[in-house]
Amino acid sequence: MSSEPHETAEAPPLTEEIAPGTASDPPVGGDGPATVTVDGTEVSVGADATLIDAIEGVETEESVPALCHYGREDIGPRSECRTCMVETDAHGVVPACSFPAEDGLTVRTDAGAASEARDVNLDLVLSDHNLRCTTCGKNGRCELQDAAIEQEVEEPRYGVLDDRGEYEPLDDTSSFIQIDRNKCILCNRCVDACNDVQVEGVLRMEGSGQDTRIGFQSDVDTMEDSTCVSCGHCATVCPTGSLVEKGIEDATTIPLPGFNQKNSVGTAYESSGKSKGPMTPKKREKRATTDPSPSDDATETGVWDDDGASGGDWP
Amino acid sequence: MTGDGPTVRISATDPERALSETNAAPDGVFVVGSTGAQALEPLVAVTREGRTAFHARCSPERVAELCARADSPEAAQSGGSDAVVDHDPETARLPVPELPGLGAGERTVLGACGWRRPTSVADHEAAGGFGAPGPTAVLEAGESLRGRGWGDLCQDESVADTWEAVRDTDGDAAVVVNGHGTASDALLLASAPFEVLDGAAAVARTVDADRIVVYASDDDEHAVETVREAAETYPEPPAAIDVVTGPAEYRAAEPTMSIEAIEGNHRLEARLRPPGPEEAGLHGRPTLVHTPRTLAHLAVALRRDESPGTRVLTVAGDVAAPVTVELSETATLSEAVDAADLTGDFKAACVGGQFGGVTRETDVTLDPAALADADLGTEGSVRVLADDRCIVEFVGRQARFASEENCGRCVPCREGTTQLAELLRDIYGGDYDRDGIEELIRVMDTSSICAFGVRAGRPTRTAMSAFGSEFEAHADGRCPAGSCIEALEAS
Ligand code: SF4
Ligand code: SF4
Ligand code: SF4
Ligand code: FES
Repeated sequence: MSSEPHETAEAPPLTEEIAPGTASDPPVGGDGPATVTVDGTEVSVGADATLIDAIEGVETEESVPALCHYGREDIGPRSECRTCMVETDAHGVVPACSFPAEDGLTVRTDAGAASEARDVNLDLVLSDHNLRCTTCGKNGRCELQDAAIEQEVEEPRYGVLDDRGEYEPLDDTSSFIQIDRNKCILCNRCVDACNDVQVEGVLRMEGSGQDTRIGFQSDVDTMEDSTCVSCGHCATVCPTGSLVEKGIEDATTIPLPGFNQKNSVGTAYESSGKSKGPMTPKKREKRATTDPSPSDDATETGVWDDDGASGGDWP
Repeated sequence: MTGDGPTVRISATDPERALSETNAAPDGVFVVGSTGAQALEPLVAVTREGRTAFHARCSPERVAELCARADSPEAAQSGGSDAVVDHDPETARLPVPELPGLGAGERTVLGACGWRRPTSVADHEAAGGFGAPGPTAVLEAGESLRGRGWGDLCQDESVADTWEAVRDTDGDAAVVVNGHGTASDALLLASAPFEVLDGAAAVARTVDADRIVVYASDDDEHAVETVREAAETYPEPPAAIDVVTGPAEYRAAEPTMSIEAIEGNHRLEARLRPPGPEEAGLHGRPTLVHTPRTLAHLAVALRRDESPGTRVLTVAGDVAAPVTVELSETATLSEAVDAADLTGDFKAACVGGQFGGVTRETDVTLDPAALADADLGTEGSVRVLADDRCIVEFVGRQARFASEENCGRCVPCREGTTQLAELLRDIYGGDYDRDGIEELIRVMDTSSICAFGVRAGRPTRTAMSAFGSEFEAHADGRCPAGSCIEALEAS
């Protein structure tokens, strides 16, 4: 993306604005109370409900992992993992977590296309996940692990993120929260918790494509340098071992001598030592005006320029 | 606009360059936009009394010379020209010469391109423009109008239902003219901006919008400048017209990302839907997003009281120069391919934009239903692949591009495109898992948030069925086109 400021119709204010980096989604949910039929069972849900509310109310034919769904506070739906796909009579295969519960809709969890989509998407999540559960602080209380067990994933189709060369260094700089982005499923719960619930404006979604990651609105590199106030809300909502409160990051680790969460990743950013305990709110001084996407230089999108738009060297 | 003397029109994608020798256009010399046939540019048209002589590929010196001798009686005779056309002296549309790229199809929606001065109110008025048809007429025209291009909220669907949805939603409506990233849309913005704005104004009146935003890529500077000037001079617009640019990335044309860009978000990702922009769009208001092609078709349909029944599309790829043509919906792909000057023998075409379908059959008609049946796209673009192209390499690059350029929001697209590129790479190692690739593409198609991910697998899917033996050959270590295995060995 160009770092030149784009001409916008309404210039955004330059200060003190929370910029989570995510799209302004429309409000989701049904128009009013609705009754839907899930795998043959009728369920009534209230206004604003999505299909996941109905699904959670019944014993479904097949399990619906719904990994990124949180459904509490002002968090989500992000609707990004697509492990909640179900088939509807009227609209085909839809994501249950964000699709409105329309009155009269018939939903099946065991339809082939929906089932396939949930399985493949779960494997796709795992393909980009460091599945080193034995050294993870969330071992045994991880929603991704639960989903993989529930879905009886034995060998994920696309493997797991197992190449240490590709690991992002662990951010162990904060005395309060440790970040391991190799375990992040980009569910955005932490970003919503930090911005919409705590209104702290620390975390954001940044980058694009494979470089998409959670980062800091103040444009710094580490948690220690961020404006975090150590409220811990992000770690509470994180479904995986990506955000873990310090002190328990190795809590559930199987005691292999000398092997822990940190050295399982290999590299880590350590605290500078100058760190402070719990912090006071320190808002960003200015709004980030550039997109941090490392794919900035891949802007050759003249679709017809010979191979410019076609993915560079091949194979 | 001619008066008695001759009229000279200089047509080019970048007219300033064509004029560098003569500096400014002298009297009687009009700078007009591109016709869409870039290979002919700069194209000089000398008109006198209903006869126009065309001179293609003029050097700046030649342009100066033609301007200087325009007054001489022979000017409009065939002397030294590439084509001559006799026509109605009052015509407001380009009299079509038999020149490569221009002779193809018809020029109704493209009529202004290369003939009218893009920002001349008088020229557009003389062509019957700036009419202000009432909502009934507009809604009726909308019944038979389908949205064009992936940047259009109503791609391939009738626009009428979406207009009704906007009318039925509370709140001030907005109309976004999404001219991002597609050659034929950029052509309309640069060569016929008033046609586009006429369409936008008609829709704005119909849905009672109080805001029109023209959105285009940062890279299309000339188109942006031109449409900005046109917007400023548009007589009595029904709503304020703004012109806004967004980053050049391919994904920035997606309708919800265009709205995000207009709102000033510097990180572009798609929005969830439903509800779509027609209920909650720009700043939460009911919003229509149409491409310039859709709107220009509407404007022309309203003026002529009938749908032109054509498709505007750009032929590019292995051709001497890209060419934008307007063909009947009943024409076939082969007519589109024939409009361009291929740089080699035809092997295949990728039909429907970046993530179009790959086909070797050119007898498919250009209407959206027929194209969809053939798993081809209607993006308004045909990319020709000459016979020295390796299809596996081509789709591999498309997959790689998708993995690098997606917004990163949803798993089926972000991770799916990455795995797709990997599975295609595995073919070079002897492992061609067609079922696995098809399964992945199916899931990307059914579960991606936006059209980017839905379509990203189409080149691979279609190529595997049209060119299956090439995939198998690669798994055996052979590249029939002789291009990519060598690259692999060299690396
Ligand atoms: S702990 Fe810090 S980063 Fe996490 S929610 Fe609280 S303020 Fe935000
Ligand atoms: S860090 Fe945790 S909560 Fe935040 S996006 Fe990643 S997985 Fe979700
Ligand atoms: S399909 Fe691709 S581009 Fe669209 S939202 Fe998903 S990741 Fe983003
Ligand atoms: S739970 Fe619905 S997409 Fe993640």
